[in-house]
Amino acid sequence: MLQVLFDALSLGSLYALGALGIALIFGVMRLVNFAHGDVIAFSVFALLWPSTDAVAIVFAGHLPWFLLIPFVLAVGAGLSVLSEIVVFRRFRHASPATMMIASFALGFVIRYFLLMLFSSRPKSISLLPALSQPVEILGARMPLLQLITILATIVMLIALSVFVRRTRFGLEMRAAAENFTMARMLGVRANRVIMGAFALSGALAGAISIILGAQTGTADIQMGGAVMLMAFIATVIGGLGSLEGAVLAGFLLGAASVVMQTVLPPEARPFRDAFVYGAVILVLLFRPQGLIAARGTKERV
Amino acid sequence: MTRTRLMTGLSALALAVTPMTGALAEDADGNIVVGFATAETGFMQAYDKPAQDAAMIRIEEINAAGGLLGKQIKVVNADTKTDRAEGAKAGLSVLDAGADMVVVSCDYDFGAPAALTAESSGKVSFFLCAESIKAGVQGVGPHSFSASVLAAVQGATMAQWAHEKKGARDFYRLLDTSYVYNKGICDGFDWMLPTLADANLAGEDVFKNDDASIAAQISRIKALPKEPDAIMLCTMMPGAVSAIKQIRAAGINSMILNGSAVDGSYWLSAVPDLSDFYVPVQGSVYGDDPNPDVNAFNALYKEKTGSDPATQYTYPGYVMIDVWAKAVERAGSIDAGAVVAELEKMDGEPTLFGPRTFTPELHHQNKARYLIAEVKDGKPGIVDEWTISEPVPMEALMK
Repeated sequence: MLQVLFDALSLGSLYALGALGIALIFGVMRLVNFAHGDVIAFSVFALLWPSTDAVAIVFAGHLPWFLLIPFVLAVGAGLSVLSEIVVFRRFRHASPATMMIASFALGFVIRYFLLMLFSSRPKSISLLPALSQPVEILGARMPLLQLITILATIVMLIALSVFVRRTRFGLEMRAAAENFTMARMLGVRANRVIMGAFALSGALAGAISIILGAQTGTADIQMGGAVMLMAFIATVIGGLGSLEGAVLAGFLLGAASVVMQTVLPPEARPFRDAFVYGAVILVLLFRPQGLIAARGTKERV
Repeated sequence: MTRTRLMTGLSALALAVTPMTGALAEDADGNIVVGFATAETGFMQAYDKPAQDAAMIRIEEINAAGGLLGKQIKVVNADTKTDRAEGAKAGLSVLDAGADMVVVSCDYDFGAPAALTAESSGKVSFFLCAESIKAGVQGVGPHSFSASVLAAVQGATMAQWAHEKKGARDFYRLLDTSYVYNKGICDGFDWMLPTLADANLAGEDVFKNDDASIAAQISRIKALPKEPDAIMLCTMMPGAVSAIKQIRAAGINSMILNGSAVDGSYWLSAVPDLSDFYVPVQGSVYGDDPNPDVNAFNALYKEKTGSDPATQYTYPGYVMIDVWAKAVERAGSIDAGAVVAELEKMDGEPTLFGPRTFTPELHHQNKARYLIAEVKDGKPGIVDEWTISEPVPMEALMK
């Protein structure tokens, strides 16, 4: 039972971090950033030296952990900010649908850039191998990484919520999320807030890439896709634009996935995701606005 | 003088455009043409290229030894761009260039469009390394073959070998449902398991190749009263690395069996000091193949391409040209019907990578000699050799 809880929390953490990254950007500029998954992949590949050989040439991946983690977070944040400056800034007055298509295009550009440098063959890396040790907690035996993932996610969520609630920048961000035009009129600097949101979102993508990289030992140009899809669904169930909702829904999705895997009979298990998505549809039928609707997205008369 | 120079110029021009107008050139030069409708770009390239390089080595050997039926083998290429629609076009393009035999992408789904194009033109086609029964008579048609061995043979080989040589009795089956290849391995395992004395299935579970975590599946294994002797993992890259890493990180030390798709040392850095991991391989890329000719082939491959073969999927390319050329030689013609008939007569035909058999019902291997590669303390090496006692029956293959 405890084991299931830990499994659910660790998978949920991953989805929650992803959902938060998407919700942050959606909050400030109504953009569903489908390039987020590719930022995750890019952050992992940043640890490798470009080569199309089967064996990965580890480069920055050799850094000690206290340098490696900030490095990956910075790469994620950097790429995300860059994509804002180069691409999304030009689309600021475009419709959300246009921006979404632009984000798909950007995702393709990033993915094919990686394909060009690294080829399509998944690369193996040993990222933070010390985390692959089993540990025992309250009778549940699990990889240390699972525990660290849960703890790190909780720490990041607390830090982020303090940042959003207690700092001026966080206040501006929340104001912008609620009513962007009004916030600008009241003196919130749009570019700064949006860039901040992209940087945070990119850093979260970096965090996911460290966890995924350490867990799977693999760098694959498509690796961000699955998490991105789940994260996007989590932001929708959570209520688009609502940060708390995204995190909550991320954890719920992770839990639903683990519980389905555990309780479904063997014949039904291959269709686990169908059951998870079925649950998603049910949630949306009863709460189309999401679990925690963002105030800014409600229809006003 | 001027006239001669003009003629020389024209024939040089004719040579230069040969690849475009292969059909004409074939008549003119009398060459036999092998067309590669394979991926030169996109993700399949990583899988097609090594096998194609190996095929080229065999073609060069044959040409150096005087060619086939006294003619040189010429190669034409078309890029499928790892795209199914482009695959059909690439097939047409090499056929237009006069291909007598069409080599198509490694994977069934990506190779089939070009193979079907060849089939409808009545030409022989070979999948570089497809391991589904569909890559042949059942999926494409009577002129289609695969150069590799059925996935089911791999699962059956590992189950029987682990049972006979490692004393494994409790097996756990962990299937990755993302690809048909994986199901093939587990189908072979499912067929073999009931035939093994005292062997039983301790449990089973499924996952998906891109699952971010298989923690729930691992918890189920750990909940068993006793750790299974062997985990039959039916998966491929990159999910395989992730699964193996997570299984070991959770402290499960059962021996892990998989299909050939996880051969190679390139991924081992992800799971430092991995032990008790076994896969079947057609030949060794580690320089320790019991057959010295395979090691010599590896050296030649390195000389041609600059690096050692990364995985055993290099070898089917060589086998493919080898068996096809023998069939052409025996048929005394490149007529597709005659070549197919000769291929179908092959029963335990010796090749560098084990005997090969084709029948009118099956253009694929339902039984094959496999080397067993073990990973011990993070180092791979060949430890044994195994051929399943019975060929995998059609019912198990068509499941």
